[in-house]
Parts: sequence; C-alpha cells; structure tokens
Amino acid sequence: MTTPPEIQTLIDAVVRADTSDGLLEATEALAATGHPDSAPCLLEILGFNNPGAAVAAVDGLIAIGEPVVDTILDNLDGYNYGARAWSVRALAGIGDRRGLSVLERALAADIGPSVRRAAACGLGNLQLSDAEQADEERQRCLSGLIQATGDGEWIVRYAVTVGLERRLNDAHCPDALRNAGIEALEQLNSDAKEDVKVVRLRAALALQRLNAG
Amino acid sequence: MAMQPGADATQSGAGDPIDEPEALRRLQLDDDPSAQYYAAWWLGRQRSQHPQAVILLRKALQQRRPRQLGDDVEENAVARNAARALGKLGSIAAPAIPDLLETLNDDDHGLREAAARSLGQLNAKAAVPLLVARLASGPAVAGAREEGTPRLKEPCDAMLEALGDIGVGEDQVLQVLHLFLEHERPVVRSSACRALLQLTGESQWGERMVALLHHDQLQVRRAALMDLGATGWYPALDAISNTLAENSLKLIALRGLAEQTDKPAPDEAVLDAMDALL
Repeated sequence: MTTPPEIQTLIDAVVRADTSDGLLEATEALAATGHPDSAPCLLEILGFNNPGAAVAAVDGLIAIGEPVVDTILDNLDGYNYGARAWSVRALAGIGDRRGLSVLERALAADIGPSVRRAAACGLGNLQLSDAEQADEERQRCLSGLIQATGDGEWIVRYAVTVGLERRLNDAHCPDALRNAGIEALEQLNSDAKEDVKVVRLRAALALQRLNAG
Repeated sequence: MAMQPGADATQSGAGDPIDEPEALRRLQLDDDPSAQYYAAWWLGRQRSQHPQAVILLRKALQQRRPRQLGDDVEENAVARNAARALGKLGSIAAPAIPDLLETLNDDDHGLREAAARSLGQLNAKAAVPLLVARLASGPAVAGAREEGTPRLKEPCDAMLEALGDIGVGEDQVLQVLHLFLEHERPVVRSSACRALLQLTGESQWGERMVALLHHDQLQVRRAALMDLGATGWYPALDAISNTLAENSLKLIALRGLAEQTDKPAPDEAVLDAMDALL
C-alpha cells in the first residue's frame, strides 16, 4: 500500500522544514490528518528536541490511536530520554492495553522523571478492553501506582494521584484494591507524609471527587 | 531567570544513595572535593535540619579552589553548592546569612549568583542594601557584558529575583528594578518584572512576562515561565498552559499558581490544567 499523495506532501514539508516555527507548522498539519502513514514521521519528530513540535506529534499519534501502538512499541528509543518520554506520553494518551508493560516498567525504573510522570498518568488511562484480562491488568495498574507514591520527584507523585483517581473511578474495582488505592491517596494528602503542597492539593481533590462520585 | 547549574545529581558524578550522617561525613573530606560537592548538594536537596549541617556548610562556603584542567566541575564548586544548599534549609540557616552577605562581594561571579539566590530564598532583609548597591549602576555597567564571556558583570537576574523574593518594596529597590526593564536581554527584563510584580502586585508586570511567553527564543520563554511561576500570578494560567515549551517547565510554573492561592479548597482550574500536561 502506498502513502496517499496528500500525506506524502505533508511528510515532505516536515523533512524540508528548516526553522523551528516551520517544523511546528508542518508537524501540526501532518498530525491533524490522523492518518496511520504519518506515524513513522511523527515518531521521528519526537527525537528532534523541539518541544512544540513534539507536543503536536504526540497529539497526532494519539489521534491515530490503536493502529499506531505496535509502531510506537517497536520504535521505543532506548537512549534518547526526551523521545522516550514523548513515546510513553503517546502510549499513555492512547490508553491501549498493549502499552501496559512499557508503562509499568517506565514508572518503576525509568531514570527520567518526565517519563515516570507520563507513565503514571498512562496507568490511570489504560482501557482494560479484554474482559478476561481486565482484573489482572487493573491490579497491575493499581499496584504500580501505589508503589510509586514513594517516588522522589513531586511531579511523579502528582501524576500518581491523577492515575489513582482515574483507576479508582471504576465500578469494577474490587473493595480491597479500592481501599489500598484510597489509603495511598490519603498518605499523599497528609501534611506529615507529603511535603509538597500541590501534591497534597491534588490528592485532596481526588479524594473529594471519589467520595462525591 | 537562568537555569541553575548543580541542581541535578547526575552532574555530581557521584549520584549514589546516601543518608544524612554519610553526607555530613563526606562534607568534611577536605581532600575529596567531589565527595564534598555531592554532600553539599544532598544536604540542600534533603533540606537537612541537622544542627551540624549549617555549621559544615558555612565552613564549605569558605573553600576556594580554581577549576583545574580535566575537572568536570566548576570553579569553587564546593562553595557554590554550599551556598545553594544553605538557601534551601529555611530558618535554621539564619546564622549563615552574614557569610552569604560577604559572599556577595566575592570575585567569583557564579558564587555571587548562588549567594544572591540563597539570600532571596532565606528572605534575608539585610541583603537588600548590598544588592541595590551592586545593581545601582544599571544596565550600562552592572548589566553590561563582561569582556570575553557571555556573562554580565553582575549576575543580574539572580540579584533582581532575590530582591523580589526578599520582599522589601522600598523606593530605592523599585528604582533599581525599573532600570533593568530596559536591559537588552529579555531574560533580565523578565527577572525585573517578576520582582516588581512580587513587590507591587501591579498586573502590568505580569502582563509583560506573559508577552515574553511568545518570544522567539525558547530560552526566553522558559525564563518567563519560571518567573511567572515564582510569582504565582493567577491570570497567567491559560498563557502558561499554551506556551511552546517543555511540559515539565509549564508544570513547575503552574505549581506556583496552585500553591499561591489561599483558598481552602483546591483550585480545580489550575489542577486540571496541570493534569492536561502530564
């Protein structure tokens, strides 16, 4: 199957872009197509160290959604933290369950806080679409998030509160798991255990919304 | 503001996990500056409240060692990290304020910068006359480029920001800040606006920083983000979210807004904006 000419034209424009603004515009135009053939080019942009273009490229990958997951998984760059962070962010935004292992590993062990942050968010977003696997996958998401409440970076703990809120806002969550998640949020809301105010504020909001919901 | 060096464990080359007694021990290893460098950073990062920490950091602040060939650290690296650490320790570091004031007159530009930032973080009112004196010659002298380097004669952004953090809004302070609104470097203008907003609460200074969020250079946008975050100026919320820069920096800026509000309940608009950037 060949790439449609209108997509190829937009890809060529990305390749030709010689200024930061030019790259951003070309990336936005390509990303807006949501066409699967744009994926290899969008993935390449993640490694350019151009945050504006990377944001647009991630949006484009998320718009393509499920068909791009395997391509992202095959292209995870082991050496460029920036590119990997953006890839994890794309996987987190798409929320496909095939990303679970990558997100789990990233949250537990990645050296880059921005990667762990995106992964925490992703574990909250994952669509548990396979009914047979859903219980086990829910358990894995929540365990990963609860483990990460001890992360040394405030922004990762912040993302964990967001992930926990989304995961717990699920009627299928068994009581024992829910209680463990609520307990983790209560620790993040505690003056004694959490010294960063914005993390406590976010945990308080999560608890407030879960009780209200 | 400028990105601060030495704020990252990976730069120390010795990023192993240690505890407080070990950090205090390493800080005393006078023949191993790289161990001392890491120990000083660690104590600041952990906001150590150990009574020995301030005593040892004050001593380390006196250490001078020129950069040597093959070194991967900066000139007076241990003293600079000691200065930075003291700023993070809060009120327990008050006895170190006279040492930091003296450091404002050091020949080492980087050390003056670290001392200025820490005096700002410690809200050291005693630093105001010295900072004003150092900056009084304005962009033409204090803010002029130092021959043969990209630096300015004084670490202007750090000093301007310190005046804002300390919070003494006297006329002579405001006059000095106004001088730097005309500086050729947008990063320095941003620092002046930040301090003026902190000291006067006038929204015109916030608006000027918001305008810099659209600057062509990423470095300027980053500086304006950090400066707006430091002021916690709420009207900048949407502009911060939409800036073309790393989400990490936008999140730091928005944290400033979230933590600034005195409302008892969490501010959902700011937190939602942060969630969208994760």
